[in-house]
Formats: sequence, C-alpha cells, structure tokens
Amino acid sequence: MVKQKKAPKVNLKQIEKIIAGYRGQRWPLIPMVEEIQENVGYIPPESIPVIADALGLFPSQVQAVITFYEQLYTEPRGKNIVRVCRGTACHVRGGKTILKLVRQHLGIGEGETTEDMEFTLETVACIGVCALAPNVMVNKETHGDMNPKKVARLFEKSEKE
Amino acid sequence: MEAVTITLNGVEVSGYAGTTILDLARESGVYIPTLCHDPNLASTGACRLCLVEDERNGALLASCVAAISPGMTINTNSPRVVEHRKKILELMLASHPDTCLVCDKGNRCQLRKLAAETGVGLIGLQKIPQNDIIEEVNPFIERDLSKCVMCGKCIRVDQELVVEGAIDYIDRGTMVKPATLNDMPLEKSECTFCGACVAICPTGALMEKERVYTGTATNVVTTVCPYCGCGCTICLGTKDNQIVEVRPAVDSPVSRGALCVRGSYGCDFIDSPDRLPRPLVKVDGEFQEATWEEALSRVAEGLGQIKKDQGADALAVFGSSKCTNEENYLLQRFARGVLGTNNIDNGSRLYSAASRTGLGASIGYAGTTGSLDALERSKVIMVIGANPEISAPAVAYAIKRAVRFKEAKLIVIDPRNTPLTQFASLWLRPGVGTDVALLNGLARVVINENRLDVEFVTRMTDNFDGWTKSLQKYTPGYVEDVTGIPKKDVQAAARLLAGAEEASIVYGNGITQHNSGTDAVVAIANLAMLTGNAGRRGGIFALQRENNAHGACDMGTLPGFLPGYQSIDEAENRKRFEERWGGPLPAQAGLSALEMMEAAGEGKVKGMLIMGENPVAGFPQPALVREALSSLDFLVVTDMFPTETVKYASVVLPAASFAEKEGTFTNFEGRVQRLHRAIEPVGESLPDVEILLRLAEVMGSKMPYTSHQEVMEEIEDMVPFYRHVAYADADSMGLDWGDVESSSPGTRRLHKGMFPSGFGRFSPVEYTSPQDVATDGYPFTLMAGSSRYHFGAGSRSSRSARLSRFSPTAYLEISGAAAAELGIGDGDTVKVTSAQGELSTTAKVSKTLPRGLLFMPISFPDSPVYELFGTVLDPQAKAPALKTCAVRLERTAGNG
Repeated sequence: MVKQKKAPKVNLKQIEKIIAGYRGQRWPLIPMVEEIQENVGYIPPESIPVIADALGLFPSQVQAVITFYEQLYTEPRGKNIVRVCRGTACHVRGGKTILKLVRQHLGIGEGETTEDMEFTLETVACIGVCALAPNVMVNKETHGDMNPKKVARLFEKSEKE
Repeated sequence: MEAVTITLNGVEVSGYAGTTILDLARESGVYIPTLCHDPNLASTGACRLCLVEDERNGALLASCVAAISPGMTINTNSPRVVEHRKKILELMLASHPDTCLVCDKGNRCQLRKLAAETGVGLIGLQKIPQNDIIEEVNPFIERDLSKCVMCGKCIRVDQELVVEGAIDYIDRGTMVKPATLNDMPLEKSECTFCGACVAICPTGALMEKERVYTGTATNVVTTVCPYCGCGCTICLGTKDNQIVEVRPAVDSPVSRGALCVRGSYGCDFIDSPDRLPRPLVKVDGEFQEATWEEALSRVAEGLGQIKKDQGADALAVFGSSKCTNEENYLLQRFARGVLGTNNIDNGSRLYSAASRTGLGASIGYAGTTGSLDALERSKVIMVIGANPEISAPAVAYAIKRAVRFKEAKLIVIDPRNTPLTQFASLWLRPGVGTDVALLNGLARVVINENRLDVEFVTRMTDNFDGWTKSLQKYTPGYVEDVTGIPKKDVQAAARLLAGAEEASIVYGNGITQHNSGTDAVVAIANLAMLTGNAGRRGGIFALQRENNAHGACDMGTLPGFLPGYQSIDEAENRKRFEERWGGPLPAQAGLSALEMMEAAGEGKVKGMLIMGENPVAGFPQPALVREALSSLDFLVVTDMFPTETVKYASVVLPAASFAEKEGTFTNFEGRVQRLHRAIEPVGESLPDVEILLRLAEVMGSKMPYTSHQEVMEEIEDMVPFYRHVAYADADSMGLDWGDVESSSPGTRRLHKGMFPSGFGRFSPVEYTSPQDVATDGYPFTLMAGSSRYHFGAGSRSSRSARLSRFSPTAYLEISGAAAAELGIGDGDTVKVTSAQGELSTTAKVSKTLPRGLLFMPISFPDSPVYELFGTVLDPQAKAPALKTCAVRLERTAGNG
C-alpha cells in the first residue's frame, strides 16, 4: 500500500534561477543541488537535464551524484520528516516496535511519504542520544524514551499543528 | 622528460616520470592482470586486480594508477599480492552467477580467465543477491547486470571515447549499477547503440543481442568498415566461414575502440538471404541463373556489339565509391583501355563533387588536409553543414572529445539542432542555402578587425587583394539580413575562429549538396587560408559519405581525369597511361553520372556497366532513371543484392562483400587502409577485381595482373601521391599521410603550409539567393540526409536484419510549430509534394527543426525521398542539388 502523491508540477523557472546563480563556479554541482533541494524540497528529475546542460555534464553523471548521496532526494518529501532510530541501543529498548507503531500511525513504510505530503518516514542508524533510547526525531526535534502512548500522542500533536 | 629507474621483479627498468607501473611493466614484458584498465580510457583503479607490492615498505599499489618513483622495488607476484588478488576475485565471484556454461561470452570472459589464471575455483563465500536481467526491446544490446563487476569500463568508454553520456552509475553500495537517466531501457535513453560498451565489457554483463549462439570466433580478421567515409578498423570474428561478431580494433587511429551502430551491428547484410549467389541472365524478360562463362560472354557480346555498331561513346561505366581502390582503378582502365570511353564516373558525384571542385581550385588538393588527430588537437572547431554524429560518427567522437577533454571551442553552423549543438560555444542557425553569405561575412570580419594570419596569407596565397574587394558588401548587417544570424554572433564566430592557434573547419553534405555547393566550399577554403589553418595547423575536413569516395576519385573513375587527377585533356598524361597499358586512350572528357543517365534517356548511350551502385534509389527523379535504364540496349550490373537497379539489367554479376575480398580503401582523411578477406565469397560471387579481370579477358583485352599487389604497385607507379603506399605499409592500421610526409616532403597532405602548387588561391564567390528553398506554393524547405540506423541508398543497411527492424520505414520530421499549424500529429500519414514529384510517409514531430524546415532520411529505397528532387546540375561540379527542395505538405490520414 504505497500512498505516494503524484509529484506536483515542477517549477523549472525557480530552479533555472538557482542554477544561474552558480554560473562560472568551479565545482558547483553539489552546492547547487543542495540549494535546489532546500528551496523545492527535493531535486525534481526533470531538472537533471537542465543542471547537466548548465554545467557541461551529462544528465547521467548528475543523476549518478544525486543518487550517490543519502541526503539528496529525487522525490518530493513530506512537510515533516520522521526519523525512527534503529541503532543498537534503541533496538535493545524496543526500537523495532516503535518503528512498527509509527508505520501504523502514518500508514506508510520506510522511505515513503503520506498522501497528504505531511510526513516522510525514515530510519536512521543512530542519532547519538542513546541514553534516551528508544528515540524518534521529528524534523529537528528529538523525542526520547518512546513508548506506544508517546508515539500516539506525538502524532496526535503533530496532526493538530 | 626525466627518466626514473625502478626494480621490477628483480630487474632494473627505466621509464619517464609519470609513467604508471602497469605501463612500464607492459613495456618490459611483465604481465600484470587487469580488469578495469583499458589503454584508450583514463585509469580509475577500480578493480584492484593490478595490485603490486613495493617491497621497500610493503605497500600494495594499484599499478594502473600508481606512477613510478625512483628506487621503487616492485614485486608483481609476491605472496601478499597473490593472496589479495585471489580474495578480490573470490569476492567478485560471490556476486557473479555460475552460468558460464550458457554465457555467450564464453572463453572471452576476462573474469573467468583471471579466475583460472589465479587458481580461484569454487568459493566458500555466501552469494550476494544480484540485479535482474533488464527487459529491453532493442535488437542490439542485452544487459544482464547480474554479471556486472563494476569495472566502470562501459561508463568510461561511453563518456570518454564516444562522449555520449547515456550511462553512469546509479545509487550506491550494493544497489549500485550502470544505468541510463531515470534507469530507462536503452532505446528510451540517449544511447546510440554504438556497441563500444559491449566490446569493452570484460564479462557477459553487456552482450550483443539477437545472435544465435554461434560459439566463440575461431579466427579474427582485421579489416575496414564498409559504411561511411571514416574508415574505422573493425575486427571480424569468424567461425565456419561465417562472421559471428564485429568489434572495434582498439589500436585503430581512426576509431580507437569505438564504432557506431552501423559498424557494430550493421554488417549482418553479408548473411542476408537476398545475396545473389550466381550470375543472372535475362532471357525474354525473366532472369535465369547462368554460369560465369555464359554470363561473361553475354556481357562481352552485348557491350562489344554496341561498341562496334555505335562507337565506344555509346557505352558508359558507373563505378562505386564503395568499391576498393584496386577495383576502381581496374574499372577505369577497363572503361578507357578496353571499352575505349571516358564516360566513367562514380557514386560520389552525388555528394562530394562540389568538394573536389572547390578545394581543387582553392588549395590545389581535392581532399581533407589533416588527420583526425589534428582535428582533436584543434583549439577551435567549426562544423558547418554537417551532422557528423550521424554521417561520420568517428569525426563526431573526436570533436566531442576535443570539447569535453581538451577545452576546444566548438562553433556549429546548422539550421537543425544537431547532437553537436549541446557541445557548442556558439550555434549559428542560418537560413538554408545562405552559407556563402555567412562565410564571406566571417572572412570580412576577420579582415576588418585585422585578425588574419598575415604571414601565411602573404607567403602562401595568391589573389588576396582581388578577393578582399569582393567581400565589401558582406557586412555583418548584410549577413544578418540574409542569414538571419544576429550581427554579434557573426562577429563572435569570426573572432573565435581567427583567434585560435589551431582551428579546423569540418563540412559535409549540407554544404556540398546545395546548388551553390562549389562556391561554399571555395568560401570555406578562403576562410581557412585567411586564418592560416589550411594544412600546417588545424585544417579543412571534407566529410565523405561513403567509405571509398576519396579513393574512387583518386583512382580516376571520373570522366575528366586519369588516376591521380591527371587531366584527360593533356596529351602528356594520356601518353603515360597509353605506354603503360599499351593502347590508345580516348582524349575527349566523358559524361558525368547524371549526364550518362540523361544520354541514356535520349538514346545516345546504349550500353552501361554499373558496378556496385543503385542509381534508381540514389539519383534524383527515380522515374527518369528507370526510364533511361529500360531504354538501354544492354545493362550489366555487378552487385551483392537484387537492388532496384538490378531489375533493369540484362546481365547481373554477383559481387562479393567487403568481408570476402582484399584491397584498400582510402578514408576521408586520405588514409589508405587495407582490407583483409575474412570469409570465402558467398555462393559463386566474386570480388569486383576478379569480375573485371575475367571480363577483360573474355573481351579479348586481358589485363596483366595476377594479384591485388600488382594492381597496387601499378597505382603507386601511376598516381604520384599514392607513391609511398607500398602494399605492406598500407596494412591494417593504415598509413597516415603524415608518415609519408616525413619520408618524402611535399607529397600528399598539405605540409607546413605548402600547397601542391606552391600557393593557395583566394577566389571571390558571391552569394546568390538559393533556388532550393521554400517558395510560393511550396512553403516548406525539405532537407534530405542520413539517418543513424541506415546508410547511403540503403541497399545494404535495409538488408541488415537488426538495423532494418529497429528503423524499418522512412519518416518525415516536422517541427512542433508547423505540425500544430497543419494539425499533424506524430504518426500521421502525410503527403509531400514538390514541383518534381510527391510521396507519402509518416510524420514525426521533432524538436530539432525550425518551423519552416522538414527533414527526411535518405536510405529507404521503398519510398525514395529523391522522387521530390530535380535534376538541375551545379554547373561546376556537375552534381545535382540533393540537400533541400521546396515542398508543400498535407495530412492524409491519422495515426492508424
């Protein structure tokens, strides 16, 4: 049950403007795609040929770089990024169950985005606050000592916002 | 450069600083296994199999990327090296399927070879899950990435050699694989199916598709590709007298390990069931098989009778720019010496006559002035009226490499958005047929801004002042009005071209096939001389459509020239050949190709010999050609296939293909390359050399040659600039004229600015408004040209099973704007009408065309685009204008 919303129409104008800002720079590909992602939320595949053309690269080369990095996305992402920790400490403290509950609450699997574009669910290997395990991050906020009740509350709260 | 000495397996060896350990080892005859290394590609050190140990410190170095340094003590086979090598191979095999028994790569698999060498057998590692086979519908390439070892060679050959960029890695870690953009099937990507990746893949991950399992080739013969004028070196793998594979030769100076789709996958026409196995003789309008003796005596009788009754000039001979030098030489000797007529011409009349005439008049030499290497070294390259990506792929590869890796600037002058425009610094889009105005305008800017090469112009050229005066009216403003190119772009292009230390101008049929073709070629030569780029640096690159267009003309299959462009009018020239051949030669220049056809229609020519050409499909106004051919008393055709022309023959002689004969081809650079016989001729077919020798004998004028070598020796003797092409020297890798120059200065190629006649001549040429573009009643300009998957008149490519299936029918490309105006959609049937004729075809909406321009490929004999073209000849080149014509367009049926 993949609930992915069709990608909204891409504003190539906006992207072209970002690309134009990098003219003449020596190795601009990565900062350029990062800026595109910051502004658009992801790097639309349609923009790859435009980026390639501007930099004198092949589209396949640009795609190779984008797909190499975990933090670069070619699909639209939700407004809120939920990261469930799957590190050792969290695992010992029931992280697997927390992930299952989050999946149930959001109705999506790992790497997927809810149809309303509110949430994207990801897992991470460790977020460095093992003392509070099991952990869940929503955007930049860390929620420690998670249990089923807190998971439920977390998403009620998020949905109200 | 500094020499560095290292110890290699206990022996001291030296190399230049910067040499890699691997290169030095190979030079010294020490074997180091590799998987991801290729001499034509940059090394990446990806596979780690080339590890060697520096015994001083125990460091393991990837020898393909590690440069030698003084005092290194390298062991290529130390226990540690062997242990690592084995481990790496085991890991590769852990993610490789055990399907060797059914893998078509068979004994050529590098992985299997290395595993055997290293002694890696069954491995105890857990298998890693693999990628699935990719389902694709193209008939050329099969990808089974479960066998991929991530050496990256396919990606590098695609990006570094072919410079297409269709593939690169996608994802990372265990998910990584070579893929197209958005991981689409190859046929939906930028892939041009050149086959370079297949040839270079060390395992069975990339395989040639659609060949029955024929086993491994038992013999490999190096020869020359029969398609375009590039003359790439190809290796034919044979087994049981059959070609089972075609691969690029990695050490070819032309192709360097990359062919195009025609070379890699189009040579299967050799096995076409259409091949003519035996001579055919027409009896009561029906062809009957005959023996060679019967057929040849019929020919001797038929041609002899006409000669006796109506004189030798009632005969005409049409030779082929696809046949070898030796065949063309014999053919013209046959025409002049045996038949006694100068009515002889070859197929290149239709596309490169303007080039020969124009360059001959300007620089005194009728061909390209530089090698592909020189082109790739150029700092500025101007491509005008050519789409080498399609018509001469090896040239396109060199241009793209120059731009991508050697910082050359590219100027493309073309109304169409050709694949090269994305590499261009400047793309000028002139109106069709306005090239002369543009070229004159560029020259004027160079002169007015004082950017000309004064030294070259003063020392090496003639008539500069006279020519300069003729340029006065070609101001940037005037050029903008005529061509539609903004003033500033004209100026920018002129500055770029004149400012480069080495610049090259590449032109093709988009220049030569217009009715102002000769003038445009002269204008190109003027511009090259003005900027000092004719020969000593950069050069003029005249692309030739067919493999031996250059050679056929050099060999004198021309109505006005004996071999070596020695004018037939000069008694002295004739005397040399008369003495050699022992008989008088006709003194009057003969008829050119189209004039022959016209004379046949008028009943002045009664008998014709056509060797390897298909004028019904290749000439304008096929109806007139058919009429002319059927009005002949006697027509003999030698061909591999029952072409449209063969139907009109009285006798058909089956010819052998390029793979079945010996000889030499001269490519567009002037590189003479030797063909080698790979298989025996199909059926009873014979090489054209053999056919001509037998025919001359039957006609009672035996020609005294017993081998190709003897023919070539005579050519060397009689054609001054072939003098140093000893048969042995012209072996597989060919002979660059540069080598000739070093041993004998001032022969073939323009050298150090020396023109054959001592100087180049500036000739004024004037722009006249084009006749072959849209006019009243015919609002579109139709352009005819080559397509990627077909070639020439299509006699061979349409009989290549894979090419013809991938691209089976002709089509008409139309711009989106024009399609919208006329309500034409992709796949609709349209009727195209010109003043000369009409045809129906399928529309294809294209982004590469401006609104008023249409494009249609030649090479589809079923719906020949030349129906639409007229037979008006360029008076200088005697060639018809076959590039564009005015048409109107109607939609007749929807996409059904």
